[in-house]
Amino acid sequence: MPNLKVSDVTLTFGGLHALSGVNMDVKAGLITSIIGPNGAGKTSLLNCISGFYHPTSGEIHYNGQRLTKSSPHQVSKIGIARAFQNLELFRGLSVLDNLMLARHQNLSYGLLHALAFFGKASRVEAENREHVEKIIDFMELEAYRKQTVGNLSYGVQKSVEVARALTLAPQMILLDEPMAGMNIEEKEDMVRFIFDIKNEWEITVILVEHDLGVVMDISDQIYVLDFGEVIGSGDAEQVASNPKVIEAYIGEE
Amino acid sequence: MSANRWFATGNYFTTYREEQRIFSTHLDRLVFCLFLTAFFVWPFFIDLSTKYMLVLDNILIAVIAVYGLNLVLGFGGLISVGHAAFVGVGAYTVASLAGVIGEQHMLITHGWPLMIIGAGLMGAIFGLIVGLPALRLRHLYLLMATLSFQMIFEWTIGFLNFFNQGQFIYVGRVHWLTGEVGRNEHYLFWYYVLLVTVVICGFGVRNLLRTRYGRSLVAVRDNDRAADAMGMHPGLAKVFAFGLAGFFAGIAGAMQAYLDRGAGFETFTLHESIQYLAMTIVGGMGQLTGCFFGPAAIEILDLQMEHLAEWAGHILPSALDLATGLRPLSFGLVIVLFLMFEPRGIANWWRILRTYLKLWPFRY
Repeated sequence: MPNLKVSDVTLTFGGLHALSGVNMDVKAGLITSIIGPNGAGKTSLLNCISGFYHPTSGEIHYNGQRLTKSSPHQVSKIGIARAFQNLELFRGLSVLDNLMLARHQNLSYGLLHALAFFGKASRVEAENREHVEKIIDFMELEAYRKQTVGNLSYGVQKSVEVARALTLAPQMILLDEPMAGMNIEEKEDMVRFIFDIKNEWEITVILVEHDLGVVMDISDQIYVLDFGEVIGSGDAEQVASNPKVIEAYIGEE
Repeated sequence: MSANRWFATGNYFTTYREEQRIFSTHLDRLVFCLFLTAFFVWPFFIDLSTKYMLVLDNILIAVIAVYGLNLVLGFGGLISVGHAAFVGVGAYTVASLAGVIGEQHMLITHGWPLMIIGAGLMGAIFGLIVGLPALRLRHLYLLMATLSFQMIFEWTIGFLNFFNQGQFIYVGRVHWLTGEVGRNEHYLFWYYVLLVTVVICGFGVRNLLRTRYGRSLVAVRDNDRAADAMGMHPGLAKVFAFGLAGFFAGIAGAMQAYLDRGAGFETFTLHESIQYLAMTIVGGMGQLTGCFFGPAAIEILDLQMEHLAEWAGHILPSALDLATGLRPLSFGLVIVLFLMFEPRGIANWWRILRTYLKLWPFRY
């Protein structure tokens, strides 16, 4: 079973310790959440996993494969997809093209085929289009298929962001605050999607989220970060009763 | 699929391959073919003077060059002010080879299609090398890097004896099935060759844009962080964009050399680079149709400015400086006006016209 092992990862920017000695063990097939106050280092940790940052020290392994020095496109090839917190979509393109872009590695035709758009190129494009259509169907984006992403509402753009990560056909998906700025209905939809991603698609989920109610309800495993350190971990009950976590969130009496 | 593929007004696709078509109805395709045929047929009926024939040929050469620049600037979002230097690389590939093996060598006169493709490949190689700074640089800094290539090119051509120190190097007349292409048919002959090249390259670019190569360019333009996370190497995509730009520029340059019957360095200066930029911006960045509108608009503007300058010279003989300054002034003005009022270029007017005509005479 695939799993992700973060061992003793430290990330410093000059004198600032974004992460210090973080250990994390993500089990396959589960929803693992990372929570913590603003600036705790949640996104930094995701950036380390997906290769945007390289840890100052420590190691990250996925199924025994070392990710510590990998670049983002290598990580995505291994099967770890990432949805961004601050919408990093291709704004000038349609939803369809955004998703087709995520199929980039699977489009295995050469330049000459592409120039003539004949035979292989046309066939491979059509096959991948079919895969993309499955994701569009799953994320309920049919109505927006041909619309330019920049013109869509925030909630829909968030869905497109998740859909794009799914289109990579990953084994593990990193969701960075997929529910931020959504209303209650959109949140309910998103939670349903996350459950389906885990159960139907059998994709391991790492979730960073501020809505503690949601996190406590859906997570199998929770890690709590504060000032770059893991201050608590375990299932929802263990974390909720951890005095350090209570202190970090509510403060001392 | 609907029974009627001539006047289908909606979306009747039943397979994804049907959706890939460039022309969704037979009528679209017929209109396009008729339009294209008109371009091939008109010289049989109208006798255009050599001067205007040359203008037409220059427009077509610029179209090929602008394909390249539009891929880099419009689709890839990477600014390049050294495009004329890439065109120059293509032209000098032909011209300097003609200088070495003789301007009447079989390879030059009979093997010109090979020479043109070779010049394109040479342009692509230079494009890939000059594109390397794009791995690290962006915006203004990339502009400086491409500008430096333009300068290096001009100085190399101007000082090396191999390139005749920038003076004219002659290229022989080409041969066609009927024998040597003479003085009278020269411009007409190249008009046809250029037209065919424009059509082939145009379809090539159109196809490229609907495949992973074209999409990765746009991805890098819109958001290279996300492009990286989607599994493409953003640096490679950028260098690739420059390689493509160099390829089209090289082809354009080789044809320029054949058309002018040689190459001299003043055809490939910074001024020409700015002119290509103006064509791309005026035509419409990131729009394939812009590649046709831009060169046509700028070349015609240039022609009119020449007339105006001539006229001004007659009326005010003392203001000759003013007349020569008119052309650069008009470029600058056109670029600024378009960036201010129509940043999407003439291609956008075309788009608006088309959507209007689709519904005409109904409003909605």
